[in-house]
Amino acid sequence: MTGFDFSNYNRNAALHARGVPLPKATSTGTTIVGCIFDNGVVIAADTRATSGPIVADKNCEKLHYIAPKIWCAGAGTAADTEFTTALISSNVELHSLSTGRDPRVITCMTMLKQHLFRYQGHIGAYLVVAGVDPTGVGLFTVHAHGSTDKLPYVTMGSGSLAAMSVFESTWKPNMNREEAVAICAEAIKAGIFNDLGSGSNVDVCVIENDKPTQLLRNYMKPNERGQKERDYRFPKGTTAYLNQKIISKEDMRKYISVEEASGDPNLMEVDS
Amino acid sequence: MTSLVNQQPHSEAIGYSFSQSTHAPNKQHSFYPYTDNGGSTLGITGADFAILAGDTRSVAGYNINSRYAPKVFKIGGDDETGEGAHILLSVVGFAADGHALKERLDAVVKMYKYQHGKPMSVRACAQRLSTILYQKRFFPYYVHAILAGLDEEGTGALYSYDPVGSYEREQCRAAGSAASLIMPFLDNQVNFKNQYIPGSGEGHALEPKKAGPLPRSTVEQLVRDAFTSAVERHIEVGDGLQMMVITANGIEEIYTPLKQD
Amino acid sequence: MVGHGTMGMLGEDGIHVDMNHLKSGEVNLGTSIMAINFKDGVILGADSRTTTGAYIANRVTDKLTQVHDTIWCCRSGSAADTQAVADIVSYHLNTYAITNNEAPSTQVAASLFQELCYENKDSLSAGIIIAGYDPRHGGQVYSIPLGGSLHKQSYSIGGSGSTYIYGYCDAHWKENMTEEEGISFVRSALQEAIKWDGSSGGVIRLVVLTAKGAIRHLYLPDTNYTGPGATN
Repeated sequence: MTGFDFSNYNRNAALHARGVPLPKATSTGTTIVGCIFDNGVVIAADTRATSGPIVADKNCEKLHYIAPKIWCAGAGTAADTEFTTALISSNVELHSLSTGRDPRVITCMTMLKQHLFRYQGHIGAYLVVAGVDPTGVGLFTVHAHGSTDKLPYVTMGSGSLAAMSVFESTWKPNMNREEAVAICAEAIKAGIFNDLGSGSNVDVCVIENDKPTQLLRNYMKPNERGQKERDYRFPKGTTAYLNQKIISKEDMRKYISVEEASGDPNLMEVDS
Repeated sequence: MTSLVNQQPHSEAIGYSFSQSTHAPNKQHSFYPYTDNGGSTLGITGADFAILAGDTRSVAGYNINSRYAPKVFKIGGDDETGEGAHILLSVVGFAADGHALKERLDAVVKMYKYQHGKPMSVRACAQRLSTILYQKRFFPYYVHAILAGLDEEGTGALYSYDPVGSYEREQCRAAGSAASLIMPFLDNQVNFKNQYIPGSGEGHALEPKKAGPLPRSTVEQLVRDAFTSAVERHIEVGDGLQMMVITANGIEEIYTPLKQD
Repeated sequence: MVGHGTMGMLGEDGIHVDMNHLKSGEVNLGTSIMAINFKDGVILGADSRTTTGAYIANRVTDKLTQVHDTIWCCRSGSAADTQAVADIVSYHLNTYAITNNEAPSTQVAASLFQELCYENKDSLSAGIIIAGYDPRHGGQVYSIPLGGSLHKQSYSIGGSGSTYIYGYCDAHWKENMTEEEGISFVRSALQEAIKWDGSSGGVIRLVVLTAKGAIRHLYLPDTNYTGPGATN
């Protein structure tokens, strides 16, 4: 059993009953999609994470590793998608080691659905599971309550309707790798531009038979920030202070290791 | 009397039993005519001009209603194009109320001109707008309005309002969903808050950087940077930036595209 | 002056809404399902629509689930609940077959379903029809509605779309139909249910269970549910 700690449950329920709002979890109001093709499967995701109407992360990763040839795209509560996929990834690897076989997509999907069903939807993970295994290509959706679907093309998250409109209008059977990547990227872009919960870049993961998995991080960057018109660097001494204490690098070296930073020390890099 | 039967005897008592407090509240039907259509507006004044700006996106939940729905309007113009106007109004919040409010104020300013034979002063218009808003004190126009123009001396004038008519003349103001992101930036870059003159003194004697009217080019740059930055971090702001600059020569409109994600 | 309340419903996301929202956002099989006895065995039928609110989450769902070689079920209600129950029953029936060196009877399968549905009635929303063929009893149809009761029937209909076809089924039902008559009965009844029920739609799937095993049929809306018919 996983170790969830419920010791604050009663206190928090009491506080909530008295009008204290519960903390806001980072939700990946998301667009995630998946599509099979002749020799494998491709999944894709946008890269925006939100907290209410505020963008919490402009370039987050929603494509999660489960096994070398099984990957997962996650929507819903960010923490739930990350921890659930990490847990199943761990169990899948142990299972693979114990059986001496390559892990299967359906095994992974079953473990996910049983885990999520046990928590009756309280673990808010909405996942697209994809991969290739000895039985062939697999593509599934797993809802937070534990229901699963098996389809040739899937979408999930708040942008799923926008993305599905792309699939329902342009999908055709027996596509090749390039066509599948293109339709998935196009579906994600539909989510990015038409759903406020989705935005920024397109991440793509291509899992192919007899080929190493390719994670195409930021496969498309259709939303790069323009140049700012003014320079907002402040002259030294702009900020007021009442007293100062200077600790030299030599003093710090007594306790920790200090490395010289590379690049222009005046540059402030806030966007990675 | 149902209220007597349903009363909770010890609702304030502290306890670990939640069976009594988790009762489903009596569901009542209600009519709620307001929607938050998101977006943001921003106004800054200078020595001989005022700028009112707003993004052009209109939203409902996670959906985009329109990528071009203006929030800044010319008030009291001679025709439907707004030609000849000398007052600007921006409205953000509930778009339908914003539109109704703009139409009302526009009619009022036009009527004033026809009845008095002279254009309404910005100060008078500001007071009138306050009255219009307060008239609906118990069914408010769900908007945050900003009024801009030039005062009797020809300097930029900016008035900002809450939804029920409380107003104030200011140098700069941001309103709408990204107001909390833009306003601190304005405090720092327009009024130079938290900025001191380097080497002007020690400790408490350090002199704050003095604020004064900014040139038009600087203000335009600040407005564009404020919006491109708000677009990065607020999901309801985007698509386009509409800037209206009012000077002694009239009103100039500048449109800049913004990110569409 | 006029502030927004912070105590009521929070925004679209966040823990609070997740807790209350998810149950309502659950994937549901607003369904039309049925199973009938005929001369040589049983026929199960279902539409293929899965919805989350107004959105069709899956338009080609397979609601006919195999729990043993010739014991199948039709699922209605919560997709998560019915999948979980069917998976557990499938596990037990496979264990049963191995330990007893004999295929389970349809009644055993139905009893397992009933046990799960009755004991967990407070947390499940599942309406299941079980139909199977075993050499000793031939074809049998059982129905387990919401409370977890078990009913052996000559034919059974279920799901939201079934309300529209009680009259149709009652008027057209015959004991000991031929396979063709049975398929035609199920297909026509489901076509009618799909026509009137907004929560049902997509394709019609059938499974015919006889001494010869299980044969799947598929009927597409493109051809007004006339074909292609048997698919394996």
